[in-house]
Amino acid sequence: MSAPRDLVVELSGVNKWYGQHHALRDVSLGLAAGEKMVLCGPSGSGKSTLIRCINGLEAFQQGDLVVCGTRLDGTQESLGAVRRKAGMVFQNFNLFPHLTVLENLTLGAVYARFEPEHRAVERAHGLLARVQLTSQTFKFPGQLSGGQRQRVAIARALMLEPEVMLFDEPTSALDPEMVHEVLDVMEELARGGQSMIVVTHEMGFARTVADLVVFMDQGEIVEAAPPQSFFENPTTARAKAFIGQISHAT
Amino acid sequence: MGTLPRSFARPASSPPRRPPADARGVRAFAQAHLFQSPLAGLFTFLLGAVVIVALWHILRWSVVDAVWYAPDNGAACRTATGACWAVIVEKYRVILFGAYPYDQQWRGGLIVAIWLAWGAVSATRLLGVGTRLTGWALVFAASILLLGGGVAGLERVGTDLWGGLPLTFIIFGGTIAGGLPLAILLAIGRRSELPVVRLLCVATIEGVRGIPLLALLFFAALILPLFLPPQLTVDKLIRAEIGMIIFFAAYAAEVVRGGLQAMPEGQDEAAKALGLGYWLRMRKIILPQALAIVVPALFNDIIRAFKNTTFFSILGLFDVLGATKAALQDPNWVRYGTEGYLFVFLLYFIICSAMSLYGGSIERDNQRRVRRAT
Ligand SMILES: Nc1ncnc2c1ncn2[C@@H]1O[C@H](COP(=O)(O)OP(=O)(O)O)[C@@H](O)[C@H]1O
Ligand SMILES: [Mg+2]
Repeated sequence: MSAPRDLVVELSGVNKWYGQHHALRDVSLGLAAGEKMVLCGPSGSGKSTLIRCINGLEAFQQGDLVVCGTRLDGTQESLGAVRRKAGMVFQNFNLFPHLTVLENLTLGAVYARFEPEHRAVERAHGLLARVQLTSQTFKFPGQLSGGQRQRVAIARALMLEPEVMLFDEPTSALDPEMVHEVLDVMEELARGGQSMIVVTHEMGFARTVADLVVFMDQGEIVEAAPPQSFFENPTTARAKAFIGQISHAT
Repeated sequence: MGTLPRSFARPASSPPRRPPADARGVRAFAQAHLFQSPLAGLFTFLLGAVVIVALWHILRWSVVDAVWYAPDNGAACRTATGACWAVIVEKYRVILFGAYPYDQQWRGGLIVAIWLAWGAVSATRLLGVGTRLTGWALVFAASILLLGGGVAGLERVGTDLWGGLPLTFIIFGGTIAGGLPLAILLAIGRRSELPVVRLLCVATIEGVRGIPLLALLFFAALILPLFLPPQLTVDKLIRAEIGMIIFFAAYAAEVVRGGLQAMPEGQDEAAKALGLGYWLRMRKIILPQALAIVVPALFNDIIRAFKNTTFFSILGLFDVLGATKAALQDPNWVRYGTEGYLFVFLLYFIICSAMSLYGGSIERDNQRRVRRAT
């Protein structure tokens, strides 16, 4: 099945409930290859739920979700196919503490992509150099700072050579002085043409990197616009209020 | 308005220094822990006196007045006021090897030596976990071949003649080798999303935990054969061993489940996001961490499994305790049961303490290596 137009992620009319709670309401969106989408919105608006649905960590009840040409239909095959093409970066890093940095990177390549170990190791060294962590290759995650951990997590996701990268608040668990080193890596990725969906409250990042800013509230997409017009001329009251709060906080 | 706050903070610029030295030495220790008040001093004095008197009596009985060598069926022991260790000197071959053919007992001795040697090597932690476990599996397999014979020109010896420490080791090794994997499967199954699997695992775990080990062993060794077709003769040792394995697994499964529950959800999700399937996630991410968490509790069960091997003596199998009991039936030595059982007690104490230390070292090793990273 080939993707219509050149969308790497396409949702149409996706609905998700947690019990009685309607967490995603008729969500439809498309991410074009090479473009960057920033998802924002107040806490509990369904941003994490949405991004977790996209790589099958959450199931949804209604609608259509196609990632890189694979329709997520709940089967193990579709889950595996989607996860091998979408890299995920979590707020809490979720590195494997019992494995070294290098092993964190090679594990997925060797066991999910069946790549020969020496090739995986070689690529891992390349990616660690790219996120400037060559000196940490043989350390354990517990020996690294938060910013270093998140950069390892990004490198681990990049080992999949993903067609799309998904970030769920990658800088929210970091001390302020470490935020920029992670954002730098993400910006560098964006410049390289990586398609990505980023949930973040870093409005500076949204302004400079995003092709499209999507504002969610209570499980709905409320507004979607390029950063310039989103920040300067928000059309809805909810988006206005949100931008007001965010810019006061920073 | 205008008044300065009464709170204050004074900036300092001091280079880092060493902490003040604690009071050290015997005097300081005695003052702080033994004689910190007159009442405490009195207790220290009284309890100290009791300990010294008791120690003196024990020493006199076990060493000063003891008889170490008593030919003529223990004649010297009958007039002695102390311990008769001669019974051990006389019977150690039976205690250590049971009814195993006398001229073949070197095989049992070799097994004990291999176990001690590999135990010592793997306690040094020069080797990885995988190597250590593989080594134990080989040691276990070699023990069975050595004791049973029938290969490499070794005379065949039936399991009814197996006995003593080698038998104890084999029962124990089999319990762990079979029980630990079963425990892991039961623990995983209990958390399964498939209702039938979950129910089966819960029923096994809870059912077995509700039965005393002795009842389970009696059932497996003595009652089960009555219901099996007569052509199907399974060795009594193997039947009892299966009982031991299931019993160990039921308890260890709950320990393992505790470790699985302690795992943060994010670990499994991160592994899923890499495209790893269920069993790979279990094997590579979840189990290594979950088992590391529960090493102390697991060693509790493992040490208990070693002590539970003594139940086999009740089934007429001659583990160390059973062999000792048999040895002490000799009318010439029957009066020196205390010494015989003390020897067995010491044997178990040393082995169990060693295992306890071994478990402690693995635990410290884990703590050093696995630093938590959320
Ligand atoms: N596992 C869950 N079970 C029940 N409700 C959930 C679960 N996860 C999230 N929710 C609810 O769904 C809504 C959206 O959550 P989330 O996607 O985490 O929001 P956001 O990431 O935008 O802060 C919230 O109201 C939250 O309470
Ligand atoms: Mg969230």
